[in-house]
Amino acid sequence: MNALDVARTALDAAGGEAEAVAHVEHSGLARFAGSEVHQPTLIENAMVTIRVVHGNRVGIATTNKIDPPGLAEVARRAADAAESSPPDESFPGLAQHADPPAVEGYDEETAALGPGDQARLAAASIDAGGDVPVYGFFTSASSELAVVSSTGLSVQQRMTDATALVVAADENGSGYAEQTAWRAGRIDPTAVAREAADKAQRTRDAAEIDSGVYRAVLEPYAFADLLESFSHDSFGALGMLDKRSYFTDRLGQKVFDEKISIVDDALDPHGLPKAFDFEGTPKRRLQLVEAGIARSVVWDRTTAVQAGDGVESTGHAPPAELRDWGPLPSALCVLPGDAESVAELADLVGDGLYITRLHYLGVVQPREGIITGMTRDGTFRIRDGKVAEPLVNLRFTIAVPDLLRDVLGLTNEVALVNSQNFYGERYPYGVMAPTIAAERFTVTGVGSKPGI
Amino acid sequence: MRELCAVAVDAATGAGAEYADARVVMKRNQFVATKSGRVERLSDSESEGIGVRVLLNGAWGFACDRRLSADGARDAALRACTFARAAPGKHSRQLAPVAPASGTHRTPVERDPFDVPLAEKVAQCLEADEAMAGPDILVRQTMVRAQREHKLLLTSEGTEVEQELIECGGGIECAAARDGVFQMRSYPSAQVGSSCQSGWEYVDGLDLTGQAPRVAEQAAALLRADECPNGVMTVVLDGDQVALQVHESVGHPTELDRVYGTEASYAGTSFLKPGDLGSMRYGSGLMNVTADPTTGGGLGSFAFDDEGVPAVRTPVVEDGLLTGFLTSRETAARIGAGNGGSMRADGWNRMPLVRMTNLHLEPGEGTLDDLLADVDEGVYMETNRSWSIDDKRLNFQFGTQIAWEIKGGKLGRMLRDATYTGITPQFWGSLDAVAGQDSWRLYGMTNCGKGQPGQSAHVSHGAAPARFRNVQVGVRS
Repeated sequence: MNALDVARTALDAAGGEAEAVAHVEHSGLARFAGSEVHQPTLIENAMVTIRVVHGNRVGIATTNKIDPPGLAEVARRAADAAESSPPDESFPGLAQHADPPAVEGYDEETAALGPGDQARLAAASIDAGGDVPVYGFFTSASSELAVVSSTGLSVQQRMTDATALVVAADENGSGYAEQTAWRAGRIDPTAVAREAADKAQRTRDAAEIDSGVYRAVLEPYAFADLLESFSHDSFGALGMLDKRSYFTDRLGQKVFDEKISIVDDALDPHGLPKAFDFEGTPKRRLQLVEAGIARSVVWDRTTAVQAGDGVESTGHAPPAELRDWGPLPSALCVLPGDAESVAELADLVGDGLYITRLHYLGVVQPREGIITGMTRDGTFRIRDGKVAEPLVNLRFTIAVPDLLRDVLGLTNEVALVNSQNFYGERYPYGVMAPTIAAERFTVTGVGSKPGI
Repeated sequence: MRELCAVAVDAATGAGAEYADARVVMKRNQFVATKSGRVERLSDSESEGIGVRVLLNGAWGFACDRRLSADGARDAALRACTFARAAPGKHSRQLAPVAPASGTHRTPVERDPFDVPLAEKVAQCLEADEAMAGPDILVRQTMVRAQREHKLLLTSEGTEVEQELIECGGGIECAAARDGVFQMRSYPSAQVGSSCQSGWEYVDGLDLTGQAPRVAEQAAALLRADECPNGVMTVVLDGDQVALQVHESVGHPTELDRVYGTEASYAGTSFLKPGDLGSMRYGSGLMNVTADPTTGGGLGSFAFDDEGVPAVRTPVVEDGLLTGFLTSRETAARIGAGNGGSMRADGWNRMPLVRMTNLHLEPGEGTLDDLLADVDEGVYMETNRSWSIDDKRLNFQFGTQIAWEIKGGKLGRMLRDATYTGITPQFWGSLDAVAGQDSWRLYGMTNCGKGQPGQSAHVSHGAAPARFRNVQVGVRS
């Protein structure tokens, strides 16, 4: 049964005013360590969430038992939840009929990849690691999302995604690389492993540096991770309503360097395209920051009603189990700059740091956008405008707005960086980011040398 | 359930697997959350299916299917075998021997959380929510949750164990904002409160409504508090923050799969080496850490882990010396000690991983006041707000929601935005007091991430307030 059939059957089971969201997953992930596959996971699943509305009382229940008795039971639980809930005067109602835009994002060849193919593509990375042991995975999936409602909504999308990720590491060094796309054919697991292994070879004999403020070049892996972490509090409407967002009282103001423009664009075929959100609201390109000026945050139907003043959903409702996080961007893109190469950015920096990847980011103070974390798998000094000797992993504590306020340059190409860690149901999303050179990156400590 | 597992195991061994196990898992969750007087989320979710793990020609395969039918079980087993045959690598994986186990286990409860009407749960939340209202309070949040996990494991070696684990929890949190300053307070822990394997009597005992006024008053007071100063000083941590410190800087680095590098591509590795066992000084002589899946009420409690290994209490650090790792049957065989016992999977569609069970810092002596009395100048920190630690679990930085200056052995002015940082063995080496059994509590957390695809584990830590000397507070200038 496809997702639309599951959702329609569930809606019938609910009867009355209701919405059904079905999510179907067929995925395989070949995880390897020490150049051997050790944790392969092949998943077949279908989940359906029913939202029942009794007046303005709302209840939600979810199941993966999609036979008639299972759907009848989940409908009963949703109704029970609705009856147990007090009236919600700010409930926006269910979405009406919508015609989502046509998007790309589904590839038959990717959907057809099976366990043998996933093992073969993982082997391509393993073989390309050469003398450096590799750790990572190859994964591919097809998934379907459908949202239907008693108010006339009926939307469905099929998606595919694939990622090759490699940490190449031995006792003396480590490097990282990753590629993500909705067409597995665009991914080269061999090139990913070679990039990681090459970087690992260059991280041997890493040195320490003093704490302090440095100029820095951040590769897309690092920049995307930082932006994604910052976005949870600051680019979502709930953060704005709760006043923990950096953009609270700052929309319309110049907050970043004029080189910085950020959009959320789920329609971009270079990303992981989406046609609608988990309430069925169509996706569209949304300008969040324009030439350094804060323009918007992302909204769903609930937060839009709470905000009033004619605010409408921008198509960013999360799945039901994450709804208390509020709407979140899922297709962030930092628009590219002028730099022809990373070498050109290093030249602009002159004396500073080169950072491949970050690890374990923690929000220290959301309102100011202060985040701490570690660098990992490829940190280098930049001297005389060139990437120079390797450094140990560095602890940093920075205000993201401060990093983006003085930008030396951005590359003229962006890379898609995977953001899903594959918790829960498969829903591909990522961040498209260029390499960035920034004036200020605050190092607050040193950690261990790169390597296993 | 048993018949489906038998179909899967038979199909796997028939296809050439030298070892196979099958787990049928049925999991149900209820979650009620209110926010500033309205119901934010009221959900009831369930998921069920079968996961089949095989060892074939020394290589692992794992596949799962939501269908609890003979076809679903057989298909999953055969797909797991297909993958194991195709898996690249040398593959000579061995499992530590374990006697076939059989038995059943159910969490003892006084009041089954799923017998508590949703309306009662909503009322509990709204009552606590209202009790947090006050000046400068911008956002009030309350949540309660319940989970039932019913699972049966059958292995080709003859193990057959069935368990029903029941847990519930709750928490409150409020945020205050004024003049661009944003502060928050939580109870009994940050994030999503605290949970326990128990009946609803645990949630009732939290007294969320009774604690709400204090939480709100402190959040508002933090808006006017001084910022925590930077410098090297004595730090006293409350039990909740000690629990997180144990989790991040003892629990994860002692997971033997991380030590062997198999988590390198996501959560990271460990600064420990296999040869450190029995010789590495982890901390001061006051540091005693125990892994104990038999702890009553612990979120990591069970009778058998997801490989069917019986629960056993195991020392990890004794008198400051590393004496144990958290292991699976595979990693135990590799290091040549023990037979596993820490393998858990996040549901039917994930492969078991080495996970913390209940990892405790054993109590010392005295009370929090006794710990403070021996501090001329320092900071007392309470309730986690931010956390970050490097991939080898050495360099960490934690922040807490609230702190107080310690002067002359007494608490002084309230402080905000407190953070501290350190290097794991040096930090634990600076431990010079742990409060006693009367201050020791069990803290249950439900958001421990690991694995690819990601898995979220529920673990508990027993901890009491503890004192550390010469700690870097704030950012090193």
